[in-house]
Amino acid sequence: MAKSNSWRQFKAILRKDLVMELRTKEMITSMGLYALLTMVVYQIALAEAGDSFDVRLVMPGLIWVAFIFMSMLGLNRSFVHEKDQGCIDALLLSPVDRPVIFFAKFAGNLLFLMVVELLSLPVFSFLFLQGRVGFGNPVWLIGVVLLGASIGISGVGTLLATMTVNTKGKDVMLAVLFVPIMYPLLRAAVGATFAAVIGGPGTVTTFWLYMAWVAAFDVIMVAIAYALYEFVIGV
Amino acid sequence: MKRNPLAEIMLGLGGLLTTAAFFMAFFWAPGTSYPDGRVDFAQKIFYFHVPVAEASFLVFIFTAFYGIRFLMTRERIYDTKARIATEVTLFFVLLTMATGILWTRVEWGVWWQWEPRLTTYFILTLLVIAYFVLRNSVEDEEKRAVYASAFGILAFIDAPISFFITRWLNSIHPIVFGGGESSGLETSMLITFIVAQVGMLMLGYAFYQLRLREEELRERLEALKIEIGD
Repeated sequence: MAKSNSWRQFKAILRKDLVMELRTKEMITSMGLYALLTMVVYQIALAEAGDSFDVRLVMPGLIWVAFIFMSMLGLNRSFVHEKDQGCIDALLLSPVDRPVIFFAKFAGNLLFLMVVELLSLPVFSFLFLQGRVGFGNPVWLIGVVLLGASIGISGVGTLLATMTVNTKGKDVMLAVLFVPIMYPLLRAAVGATFAAVIGGPGTVTTFWLYMAWVAAFDVIMVAIAYALYEFVIGV
Repeated sequence: MKRNPLAEIMLGLGGLLTTAAFFMAFFWAPGTSYPDGRVDFAQKIFYFHVPVAEASFLVFIFTAFYGIRFLMTRERIYDTKARIATEVTLFFVLLTMATGILWTRVEWGVWWQWEPRLTTYFILTLLVIAYFVLRNSVEDEEKRAVYASAFGILAFIDAPISFFITRWLNSIHPIVFGGGESSGLETSMLITFIVAQVGMLMLGYAFYQLRLREEELRERLEALKIEIGD
């Protein structure tokens, strides 16, 4: 009974976020636009590199730079709404278990992040990788990295954004806390993406080694974030 | 709050031991030499760099430990203890960075190298700094304590990663203990190192205790001021 109750509460909170997003389309458009703008900046960064430069060598790094900053934008937005409209207070007053709030916000953030990632990746390929050789390994491997890393980003990000939304600097504070904490995950995500994009003998093994690293980070950090969330959201 | 004689003894003893280790390093422990026979003078920094680095990792444990204690009990003293521990960590981290950079310049010929140990330690530095930036940006006292505790616990995860990473990945950072055939020290070098390390940990303990006492006295003073003012 209690379990189905939690499940219903989880769905209710997630649906609230989805409905609000469908009505305003604020998160997806701002994150998507941010991703596009980042690509314009990348064009500037690569402007003098010349045609012979293989963009695939830096592509994993570039996309994760875009995704990490994009995710911070989304995470911050997601909690500014909760706070400004007093939603978080209402959630805390209602008889909802704190872990349910964590998992619902986590799922919502993960969903939005994945959607924008999946939309912007083809755009990135279209703009930067046209006419080049395709990916070295099956494309679905990139989907695996996207999912694995996004779980860590959203999980830990949900905890940190809940904190930083109550600080003076808000988004700047989120960056200060978020980027160093995320370092191990991002490093592994770039490694795995690189292995998937470049291809060649041995790269599949490398890919899964990096993915093991991503998975370890996800399990440990999301567990800690979940354990700490209860303390953080109440104050 | 009573005086803490142990902290004062540790301060004196730690100062004595680290100074002794300094002299032992230069006048007693044999220097290592390069393949071409020149004496490797830069190696002497090992007796300072490694003790401060180990101390930074060990003191940082208390940030996480008192963070957990605070979240469990909500007693303010644990937050203060965690904050002081992080202050001492920052002190050791900066010393480690400074000595490390000097050493890499001489030994590797570069000021900085993005290799696993240096990178993860750099991240650790940023996390420790971020801890204080976070504290400064929260006005509500309880929120500040809770957030800082949570972040301290999360940030601590990087310490074991940074410590063990030279053993997991290909790193050009030297592994002195238990790193295979070429690792390990001569007895006199080992003794010098142990003296330096023990001394540094004593100093770490003393800094922590004395700083904590200072903080408690300051808080008492503030409370008295308010009382008189009323």
